[in-house]
Amino acid sequence: MVFRMSGIVKRFGGLTALDRVDFEVAPAEVMALVGDNGAGKSTLIKTMSGAHAPDEGTIEMEGQEVRFRSPQEAWDRGIATIYQELALAGKMTVVDNIFLGREIRKPILGIPFLNRQAMRKRTGELLSQLDVHVPSIDAWVESMSGGQRQGVAIARALNMDARLIIMDEPTAALAVAEVRKVLDFITKLRAQGKSVVLISHNIQDVFEVSDRISVMRHGRCIAVRETKKTTPQEIIGLITGAHEVRAAAS
Amino acid sequence: MASVADTRPTPRFVSPTASRELALIAAIFIVGTVFTLLSEHFLTVNNLVQTMRAGLELAIVSAGMTLVIIMGGIDVSVGGILAVSAIVIGKAYQAGLPVYLVTPLGLMAGTLLGAWNGFVTAKLKVPPIIATLGSMYIFSAIMFLVIGGAWIAGLPGTLSPLVNGWVGVVPASAIVIAAVYLVAWVLLRKLPFGSHVYAIGCDEQSARLVGINVDRTKIATYAFLGFLTGLAALLYVARLRNVEINIGTTVALEAIAATILGGTNIRGGVGSLLGTLLGVAFIRIMQNGLVLIGVSSLWETVIIGSLLIVVLTVDTLRNRNNPRAA
Repeated sequence: MVFRMSGIVKRFGGLTALDRVDFEVAPAEVMALVGDNGAGKSTLIKTMSGAHAPDEGTIEMEGQEVRFRSPQEAWDRGIATIYQELALAGKMTVVDNIFLGREIRKPILGIPFLNRQAMRKRTGELLSQLDVHVPSIDAWVESMSGGQRQGVAIARALNMDARLIIMDEPTAALAVAEVRKVLDFITKLRAQGKSVVLISHNIQDVFEVSDRISVMRHGRCIAVRETKKTTPQEIIGLITGAHEVRAAAS
Repeated sequence: MASVADTRPTPRFVSPTASRELALIAAIFIVGTVFTLLSEHFLTVNNLVQTMRAGLELAIVSAGMTLVIIMGGIDVSVGGILAVSAIVIGKAYQAGLPVYLVTPLGLMAGTLLGAWNGFVTAKLKVPPIIATLGSMYIFSAIMFLVIGGAWIAGLPGTLSPLVNGWVGVVPASAIVIAAVYLVAWVLLRKLPFGSHVYAIGCDEQSARLVGINVDRTKIATYAFLGFLTGLAALLYVARLRNVEINIGTTVALEAIAATILGGTNIRGGVGSLLGTLLGVAFIRIMQNGLVLIGVSSLWETVIIGSLLIVVLTVDTLRNRNNPRAA
């Protein structure tokens, strides 16, 4: 496994947001994470990405136990999280955004000048690798469509040499054609040997690109299914708790 | 739509808000023409150089203010920093220290006070306008406690050539301004530090997520403004050779006004140094011209104030259809 969490517990005051959660992702796998609002998906990805420290449990990345005190430490270990709000600086260019916090430097007399030429070249490579089309790499990111911004955010994760890319609702609020494009990005990432955690409410998208599906309910990871061996009905049943109702009735 | 491989740089001499710089150049040209027609004294080398000298300290402070406002901050205490630094300089001169010790002392005083503002906003999470307002009160109190309502007078003019001197046909003050803006421009546009300043102004949370050390960048930026204010204090003392009780009372608001007129977004994330420099020039030319044509200089404040409101209103209207800019 590239990534494994075991027995993760996270409490906020009296509320147990994550209750002994086990979760794992294999190399070059797209693992979908589904669940109703409040099921604990957001808390779980915040724990994966270093925004929250778990109260109990262990996290392993590439076989080594890790403990993240900040998102930066998770990035450093190769875990990139692409949040719903994308964390892009709207009034900065594509190049600036991709290299934000990781600028290529060209020291002159010890002063770390930006190496814009190298950054532009690398940006071009990253965008063509993912087949992202933007009006110009010098355009402000806020002038771009949701799909283009997703592409820029993913290119940034690739640039940081991320091995595990967590995507929080990447297709929410996108036009139909753009959804197609973002799903293509995900399959491209898998083809390059990257692992992806896909959080989505859209069961259709989940079935289209994922290899496995983890279902969360009431702060627990209640089921893991191979996408090929399950059906949308079963997954929806798990999300809504219909299986519990049936079990209680029988 | 350009192909993805098209990574040639688009030529850009000014900021994405270039329209503001062009508008300011036009405005300066127009008021310059009006003043030239109304007063024979306006368009003379002597008057223009005097005007620039009068704008020297404001120009220097405004460069730092631009970085702070781009970062989404603000500093209303620069007047206090200027005053306290000037007192440190004055007292150091009075104690008989030589200029090569007084200069670093003055710069250090400004830098420390600026860093203090950065510390309060970054580490104690106090909103910058409140933090620096608090600092303003504290710094003013320190000034009154130290000099007790009297002037520090009769200071040496060792550094006066930096203000009044000439290098060939170029006024020394122009070189000082150029040097300050060059340094600020390199910081802002050529170093990772500047990218981080813009990123924090765009979205502080995002900046943290990508691993930018937001607190350190904030403290450094406020400290840089403090450093420039310390430099302004040195030049103030060099120019006037005394420290008077109402030193620095207008500089904070003027610097903010010049920065905003110059196109820097008060909410952060956007701005240019060239715009700020033009904003400073516009403010000082208005002041100078109105005095020359015999209009009360109170009208200058009315005009600057009205222009600020117009500028901010236009910005708001322009951004109304763009929820991300709100």
